[in-house]
Amino acid sequence: MTTSVIAPATHQPSTTAARKGAIDLRQVRKTYGDVVAVDQLDLSIQPGEFVTLLGPSGSGKTTTMMMVAGFEEHTSGSVMIDGVPVDSLPPRERNLGVVFQNYALFPHMSARENVEFALRMRKVPKAESRRRADDALDRVGLSGLGGRKPRQLSGGQQQRVALARALVFNPAALLLDEPMAALDKRLREHMQEEIKTLQKSLGISVLFVTHDQDEAMAMSDRIVVMKDGRIVQSGPPEEVYNHPVTDWVASFLGDTNLIPATVISRDGEEAVVDLAGLGTGRVRDRGAQGERYAVSIRPEHLKFRAGPDGENGGAGELTSSTNLGATIRHRITVGGHSLQLRELSSDAGASGHAVGSAVHVGWDADKAQLLVLEG
Amino acid sequence: MKRSRKTLQPGRQRKLLSLLSLPVFAFLVVPTLIVVPVALNNSRYITFPPGGVSLAAVQGFFADQAWTSALSASMQAAGIAVVLGTVFGASAALGLHGRKFPGQQAVVGLVLAPMIVPTVVLALAFYQFFISVGLVGSIIPIGLAHAVIATPYVYLTTRASLAGLNPALVRSAQSLGAGMLSVFRHVHLPVILPGLISGALFAFSVSIDETVMALFMQSPGATTLPVKMFTDIQFNLTPKIAVSSALLVTVATIGLLIQVVYVLKRRSTARMMPLAV
Repeated sequence: MTTSVIAPATHQPSTTAARKGAIDLRQVRKTYGDVVAVDQLDLSIQPGEFVTLLGPSGSGKTTTMMMVAGFEEHTSGSVMIDGVPVDSLPPRERNLGVVFQNYALFPHMSARENVEFALRMRKVPKAESRRRADDALDRVGLSGLGGRKPRQLSGGQQQRVALARALVFNPAALLLDEPMAALDKRLREHMQEEIKTLQKSLGISVLFVTHDQDEAMAMSDRIVVMKDGRIVQSGPPEEVYNHPVTDWVASFLGDTNLIPATVISRDGEEAVVDLAGLGTGRVRDRGAQGERYAVSIRPEHLKFRAGPDGENGGAGELTSSTNLGATIRHRITVGGHSLQLRELSSDAGASGHAVGSAVHVGWDADKAQLLVLEG
Repeated sequence: MKRSRKTLQPGRQRKLLSLLSLPVFAFLVVPTLIVVPVALNNSRYITFPPGGVSLAAVQGFFADQAWTSALSASMQAAGIAVVLGTVFGASAALGLHGRKFPGQQAVVGLVLAPMIVPTVVLALAFYQFFISVGLVGSIIPIGLAHAVIATPYVYLTTRASLAGLNPALVRSAQSLGAGMLSVFRHVHLPVILPGLISGALFAFSVSIDETVMALFMQSPGATTLPVKMFTDIQFNLTPKIAVSSALLVTVATIGLLIQVVYVLKRRSTARMMPLAV
């Protein structure tokens, strides 16, 4: 496993010139026969922004990326790069760097030849293209490995070559299609940091596709959650995580406690709800409209309390405690609901509740989110 | 589970297999190789077993203009068959790869048809066709007919090598700015090259060996080696026939060796590269 750190960029993008790399999708729709893969999608990526399309398989996220890259033709709507419609441009004229799921390196070419490929296609003189390829390989921490064939490189190294290859021709933006799917967990986390660092230093826009919510949380400026060809929610990672608009988003982005709720009053920011069996309480509200509502409280936001003080909580019984190493997962039955409470192992000593004992739990009003129950 | 008592250990199984294979192998190869000692016989007729060793028949073969022109006719026909058959077969394989359209199976069947239709039927059809278009009296119609029967071989070997093509490579080349020709040269060609080479060798041996069509379309100056052998063997039983047979066997063996060496070389380079994960 390689653990080198990305070298500082040797060619900083000029900050005086207008930054490029804005991608706009307007009412983009893709159908395969009767099947709607992507439905009336509107999405704007600002120059330098790292946007992640997050969703399960079949949500249309990869199709969306392939339409931006030009490999899939959209049925209707328009794709624009830096304000120019590219709907009729073939992939090779869109000037986008694409990193594919299994890297798709040319197996018979060395790492350097792979990186040089785009420059060769652009008829860059040999000496210059070689220098630029070596620069790009340096930047991803592969100095000296340019002569190796892809099969002589580890998975992480292959991915670096794929990155260097996608960046060497100064593309308008970078498209990453689940680039970490083939790596093991530790290397994946390492590459997430490297890619993020590289993206920041280059100031390049990135459209990233993944089904891994941790990856999306770790890397994105903005997460676009997709389901069934539509955008369900879009926003900064913390916002999407802490303030999901539906129970589906809440569950897709990690564990959560969902308590069925009846809305008593709401003003768009805050709502007063009746939580069956847990009394009434104030929760955050984003104004999502639906037929049935619930309140989502992340397990780490549920806390043990010393006594029955304050609103937003109740008394119950600790039914189980599971030590997960860094954290401990408790299950507590409160007012007929089985809630999950997660605390750091290092904090557990202070509370020290025994399984079967009576406990008080509660949450801060701004950590509880009113959301729509789907389906 | 009942264990068969007849189960042998792997080592003994292998020995038994080679013991059984040997006579089969000999049955297949020895009759072919008999032509070599006959060709090197010192008799003026075809005799077996040979009386003594001599290169007289070989020299006689190359001194006889009728035989050398037959050899040259065969080579010309094979040249046309290899070039056109490879282009047709490879184009068909590339064009049909990764596509789905109505009637695709019919197109595949059409490409493979020359392999299935009896040669004598094809020969008659080509004969009539080339007469009707006035293309007779040269090696060209024979070469064209051979190209048609060589095409399915190239198609099959190319299609087999295309199965190993990662479709993402085409997309990645396109995203990097490659046009259609560059994609073919840098993505398809390296993958299909082994298939092309073995297809071309197949095309060569199919053409060199083909007798029926060449017999139908023969003309003075367009008599291929097998046709010359076939006509001579009825009237003129000289060791030159054995020499030309030995020549064909040699050519076929060289073709086979090229393939073997190529395959071994690829395997050893693949083994030399440690598979890093």
